[in-house]
Amino acid sequence: MTLAPALSTLDSLKAGQSATVVHLAQHAPQGGIDVQRRLMELGFVPGERIRVLKRVLGGPLAVKVGESTFALRRFEAAMVSIKAD
Amino acid sequence: MGVMEQEVAVRTPLVALLGNPNCGKTALFNRLTGSRQKVANYAGVTIERKEGSFKSPAGRNFRVLDLPGAYSLNAQTPDEGITRDVVAGLRAGEQAPDAVLCVVNATNLRLNLRLVLELKRLGLPMVLALNMVDVARKRGIEIDTARLAQELGMPVVETIAIQSGGEQALLAELDRMNFAGTVKARPLSAIDDVPVEETQREVRRILAAAVSTAKDTGNLTEKIDNVVLHPVAGPVILALLMFVIFQAVFSWGDLPIELIEGGMGAFGEWVGALLGEGMLHSLIVDGIIAGVGSVLVFLPQILILFFFILLLEDVGYLPRAAFLLDRIMGSVGLSGRAFLPLLSSFACAIPGVMAARTIQNPRDRLVTIMIAPLMTCSARLPVYALLIAAFIPDRSVAGFLNLQGVVLFVLYLAGILSAMAVAWFMKRRSEYKQHALMLELPAYHWPQPRALFSGLLERAKIFLMRVGTLIMTMMVLLWLLSSFPGAPEGATNPPIYYSIAGMIGRALEVILAPIGFNWQIAIALVPGMAAREVAVGALGTVYALSGGDEVGDTLAPLIAQSWSLATGLALLAWYVYAPHCLPTLATVARETGSRKYAWIMAGYMFGLAYVAAFIVYRVTLAFTGA
Repeated sequence: MTLAPALSTLDSLKAGQSATVVHLAQHAPQGGIDVQRRLMELGFVPGERIRVLKRVLGGPLAVKVGESTFALRRFEAAMVSIKAD
Repeated sequence: MGVMEQEVAVRTPLVALLGNPNCGKTALFNRLTGSRQKVANYAGVTIERKEGSFKSPAGRNFRVLDLPGAYSLNAQTPDEGITRDVVAGLRAGEQAPDAVLCVVNATNLRLNLRLVLELKRLGLPMVLALNMVDVARKRGIEIDTARLAQELGMPVVETIAIQSGGEQALLAELDRMNFAGTVKARPLSAIDDVPVEETQREVRRILAAAVSTAKDTGNLTEKIDNVVLHPVAGPVILALLMFVIFQAVFSWGDLPIELIEGGMGAFGEWVGALLGEGMLHSLIVDGIIAGVGSVLVFLPQILILFFFILLLEDVGYLPRAAFLLDRIMGSVGLSGRAFLPLLSSFACAIPGVMAARTIQNPRDRLVTIMIAPLMTCSARLPVYALLIAAFIPDRSVAGFLNLQGVVLFVLYLAGILSAMAVAWFMKRRSEYKQHALMLELPAYHWPQPRALFSGLLERAKIFLMRVGTLIMTMMVLLWLLSSFPGAPEGATNPPIYYSIAGMIGRALEVILAPIGFNWQIAIALVPGMAAREVAVGALGTVYALSGGDEVGDTLAPLIAQSWSLATGLALLAWYVYAPHCLPTLATVARETGSRKYAWIMAGYMFGLAYVAAFIVYRVTLAFTGA
């Protein structure tokens, strides 16, 4: 425990890195879908532990949250503020 | 029996089966109802409505409705909207359920319990089916069922949907329930007004009280994903898989195809001998047996293709493929969710067009629908297989690849690349640059041979039904058009040339000659509008009637002799694009709510087909020096 962990967003994590969800940003509705609420319903709730499993270069991320894995596009991941380990 | 019916309550309770995607809900539905299922659509939409019935050990009858999988009743897709409305008793024409049977994946309660807590707020009688408990135990997840029931305030039973007898505890619990009075669901605001954080706090509390993960046996799914989703290995594996599938379609099908060909030929001769010469002989042997036989021959290849699609779907690979391909999909402005409808379109564009309803953005959905028929559907396979067998030599390239397999692969690729180009063209001025993906990558599991087998059986049935009804009808119709009027005195051409079909063919030949099609092809393309594979049967009929050859002869060598290579390749190119499928166009009109898009689709696809066939024909002519 030397440095205060930096706040950043999920899309900045590398494959294999873990973090804790801090906050979810609002986003302009994407064709009628409330991305913020849906992300939370999938488990991206403040306080939950997450881990990036894989990333596709310039493409989506595979993120483990709880026992499930979800593929998120980068703009979706960017809505999730995290505290990296 | 009549007395019995009077004694039990007249009303059969309706149980709504509900759960997250990937919780094994449909497997449980199948386990409960067996073959007593009715599949239809919800009124006004094309979302599949599956209802079944079963009898409990105590002899009570139940009706069960398998609702579309949902992550939340705060619906984000049309599917989830149906689930939400039906369970809340708000959907017109649907009976409100008497009880909710909520299915959860025991290995993933952290995700699944949120939906359970949401449902509980509606105040309906509920039972929780803790499904896949066997897998959970193997993974070292211990669930205190009694405690969970106490915390949730509802009965909890363990189920193993994929195992015979895995539904017994559930049936016993349903027998204990009382359906005497009807309960009305509370308003949905009871769900929508609660922040997700609050629900999640409750989930955490319950998990802490009732679930312990004693030992983590190591997550096999993650180990597999380390390879399968690897930035380099992943795409290579995906490409290899696709390639193996196309090679298998050609090389494994040989023996059964020969058997069917031989069988149909012998059958035709046997029937022919019984009938003797005459009109009836011509109709049955040349019209029906030759036409139907030439389509039937492709059953093995279609089953091989479906075997792989069903297998990959069953083990959980398909969403991984969507993940790997998402960047490409995004680059042409498609939603990552478009992958699944597009993949279904490789089987048939109709379920593909219908599956596009899972795409939330209406514009994304329209683009996906418009390009779905460019995916190479299984009905093209008979046409491709016939033309490839006739015009592409069966030899190996680079030592291990089969040239015919390579050409098939190229045809599939041409469809995919063209679809992407069309998508890009349609989306080039879209206001949305970002599209939601949020796709679950479920745990891998062993394929269920029974499910695989019944899926294949279903496909075979659909194909044989089409052969027996639509294709047979078209063959008879074509035979009539091809046989009348007969040839005039002193005719130099075969009789079909002078028939009604011949006249249509010769009229169309004017338009089709620049792309290398002769009048025989032109005739076959007309009934071929009903379905792509009809063209193969139609060619079989046309050549059987025009050549006077033995019926036992197969079509491939016949057309190889009578067409130039350029014509064969041009027809292949034509079939990559041409919308020879009225059912698809009808589905598009229905799904988009307007005929306009069906006409646009037919127009652009015929346009592309003509241009592609023209280029291929001219280029091949230039190379072959004709």
